[in-house]
Amino acid sequence: MRYTGKGLTRRGLMRSAMATSGAALVAGMPAGRLLAQDEPEKPSEIIVRAWGGSWVEALKAGVSNPFTEMTGITVRHDLTEDNEIQPKIWAAVAQNRMPPIHVNWDTTTNATKSALRGVTEDLSDLPNLANTTDLAKPVGLDGYPIVNTYGYVYVLAYRPEAFPDGPPQSWRDLLDPRFDGRIALYNDGIGFHFPAQVAGGGSLDDIPENMEPCWDFVREIKALNPLLGEDPDFTAWFQNGEIDVACTISTNALAAQQNGVPIEWTVPQEGCKFDTDGLWVPQGLPENELYWAKQYINFAISQEAQQVWLDGLGLPGVVPGLTPPEGLADDPSYPTEPEDFENLIRISSEVQVQNESEWFSRFKEIMQG
Amino acid sequence: MPDRSFRYPLRWHVMDALERGADILWPATFSRMTGWLLAAPAILLVGLLVLGLIQIGDASMHVLDTSTFRMSEAYTLANYADAFTSAVYFKVAWRSLLAAALTTALTLAFAFPYAYAMVRTRSATVRKALLIALFLPFFIGQVVRAYGWLIILGNNGIVNDMLGVVGVEPIRLLFNFPAVIFGLVQYMLPFGVLMLAPALTAIPEETEIAAGSLGASWPRAIWHVILPMARPGLIGAGIVVFTLSLTDFAMPAILGGGSQDFIANAIYDQFFRTADQGLGSALALMLVALGSLIVGAVFTLFGAGTLALGARK
Amino acid sequence: MISRSQRIVIWGLVWIALIALSAPTLVVIGASFTSGDIITFPPDGFSLKWYDRVARAGELRAAFFRSLWVATICTLVAMPVGTLAGIALSRYRLRFGNVVQVYLLLPFTIPLIGSGIGLMLVFGAWGALGNLWPIGVACAVINLPFIIWSVSSSAALLDPDLELAAANCGAGRVQTFFAVTLPAVMPGVITGSLLMFILAMNEFLVSLLLVDARTMTLPVQIYNSIRSIITPDLAAVSVVFIAVAAAAIALLDRLVGLEIFLKSK
Repeated sequence: MRYTGKGLTRRGLMRSAMATSGAALVAGMPAGRLLAQDEPEKPSEIIVRAWGGSWVEALKAGVSNPFTEMTGITVRHDLTEDNEIQPKIWAAVAQNRMPPIHVNWDTTTNATKSALRGVTEDLSDLPNLANTTDLAKPVGLDGYPIVNTYGYVYVLAYRPEAFPDGPPQSWRDLLDPRFDGRIALYNDGIGFHFPAQVAGGGSLDDIPENMEPCWDFVREIKALNPLLGEDPDFTAWFQNGEIDVACTISTNALAAQQNGVPIEWTVPQEGCKFDTDGLWVPQGLPENELYWAKQYINFAISQEAQQVWLDGLGLPGVVPGLTPPEGLADDPSYPTEPEDFENLIRISSEVQVQNESEWFSRFKEIMQG
Repeated sequence: MPDRSFRYPLRWHVMDALERGADILWPATFSRMTGWLLAAPAILLVGLLVLGLIQIGDASMHVLDTSTFRMSEAYTLANYADAFTSAVYFKVAWRSLLAAALTTALTLAFAFPYAYAMVRTRSATVRKALLIALFLPFFIGQVVRAYGWLIILGNNGIVNDMLGVVGVEPIRLLFNFPAVIFGLVQYMLPFGVLMLAPALTAIPEETEIAAGSLGASWPRAIWHVILPMARPGLIGAGIVVFTLSLTDFAMPAILGGGSQDFIANAIYDQFFRTADQGLGSALALMLVALGSLIVGAVFTLFGAGTLALGARK
Repeated sequence: MISRSQRIVIWGLVWIALIALSAPTLVVIGASFTSGDIITFPPDGFSLKWYDRVARAGELRAAFFRSLWVATICTLVAMPVGTLAGIALSRYRLRFGNVVQVYLLLPFTIPLIGSGIGLMLVFGAWGALGNLWPIGVACAVINLPFIIWSVSSSAALLDPDLELAAANCGAGRVQTFFAVTLPAVMPGVITGSLLMFILAMNEFLVSLLLVDARTMTLPVQIYNSIRSIITPDLAAVSVVFIAVAAAAIALLDRLVGLEIFLKSK
């Protein structure tokens, strides 16, 4: 690509600028005591990509609004889907244009693809990283091209009415013929592959070499004509009585529940996929905007921001000492202690990004058949 | 008294100047090329898409390296080989073609009487109402519209509620192939009607009356008189509906329940879900080739539809 | 002269079409007045609270005006280009006419995602992204066949002898064009332009790749804001949109008369 000497020099310059204004960074954001003379010029606004609905509302309350109060910089939210902004950012960097956003709120898997492609800025000098748990560090990447900000679980959400004997114990419970046409999965099967590997009699250690047990189980599910969709589809389907169970992110189930849709969720014995989301900054921003984009992320991993933001999402964060939101303290979708993670499946982003397209196409092959 | 006050009106001067200008810029000897001159802006505008296609064509000849998420340096046809040998793409392509053909037939079957009624009705109010009913559905976005269908056709929807009154168990009306076809026909109907209406306007009502007075029953009059005369319009509308359905993405995604993908959905997945722009590009180009071949064949076999009618002899 | 059975068959089909066209719109209009928090039909009580919310959403209003501007640019580009091409294709015999036809249908044979990615790269290379005009031009390109075809089908109705007669009476080529050809294709120009305008107002897939947060258009904004749940404010936005459209159509009817769509002479 056309990232030649010019770009490198500019980045080099920026690094040294960072080093000299190190004092400002060490002072850190939460206290908001930045020395005015060391600050690069403030842009009037920065653009943060976020998911819509309850996701962006939580981000506004916990991070964006306080950030604006502290710095005077307006935060505008771009609600383009993470998948759909990716080619836009990649094209912008390849064409040496200013990227469409300053901060990308992204799945760690998607962010890792961008990091491998080399379109991310280095974030390892954020002062607040010092106070984060291991979860914040992306696995299999050098430094911090992305900062993970919380974890989440792809739970099994269900309609209690359809399970009069209590929550489903196993993913294999879904194979009951009464669930014909009443199971929903993500379009690409994301979140479902790993529990399916276990439910199909396989071992997680065989990922990615031998995923046949997973595909066997997917075929068994396919015989029950599952519906495939995205988050808003699941909520709409639950709400209109189209489905009884869905494999979905707990936050969406929580949002649906708060909107009066009668659903519960559980982690069956085979386990559920645990993954993280993160924040990153695309390359190609002017230096001062880059600085403030990084300050935004630095603030997002401060305890005060995490507490409010993640209360809204109902998810466990990456700084110690957060108070769980009401009712979620012992919830399987809110793991904090090591034993909470025993029933959750975590596969490194490295393995995921390398094999994801293969997994997606296998899944599609079965589902389109 | 001689009319000495007579002057050429200004318009005439302007028109003469324009004619002279036209003669200088485009002498009459060029007139064989005038058609090309008029078509040139459109050819240039569509050229924007061709520039894009060139980029896509280039991308289609590189494979994705999942350790860097960049395209390989080397040129290769591997993406095309993948697409051709994959059973699932074959299936998806076949489904898109079948759906496009079915949608075209059904849309024309409904658009024809709609356009006919709209053109022939004596009441201006009815005509306007029919016309407005065509335009309004555009204004609720696809996603909200799909939600509307869920409320109407869902398991607990209005239609199933009504069936329940007569004692019929809820039936799954959505999330299958017929639902996608239904959605497409509903979406394409306005286009079909708008393309057909001018062709029907062109058929004098007297022709029909004459056929009737010569003893033809009305189905025969339609079959032997109206349909042949409306052929250019039917072909034009058919081509529009066919190509738009063949490349559609939203209806299979929204009403297909995820297992009724068309080629455009497979392309979406490659570009947006797996970040494999190479394979996505190859699929996109193959879809363009398929669509263009079919359209070209139709033009060659039946003439260029609406467009052939008034061409200078 | 229309027989009873003919009337029944034709109007039967028309009614089926009308119901299929209008049912989701009616449901969405009804649902927008719900007092509950989710879209249902029949609505859960009556309230205007979702309209109140929409009225206070400045972002939506800004996006609406951007869409209006995009649609205007699209129409301004497409009207002359499409009219000339429509006339060229129907009144002139072009060599390789079939090839030109297939070429000019590329906007329909290229899947919208392909067009979107391609245009993003082209406009990006030109440094044009971040403005509204590339979105308008893109909408003009991807829907161009509509206006070309509606113009050419009007032009096909024009008797070529009329143009010859004008020339015989001494009219030059320019005058013949303006006095005979153009008026004859006017219904097609207006139908096509209105369609271009409406489609540009509602385009989201190609626009998605060309907008950024500062140039967000309304359909993209609506598409993007649905994440976890579809709330009734989206139904209310749609209804406001329909109302504005209906007002625009009524205005057009007063100004030029909708009849012009269907009458060529």
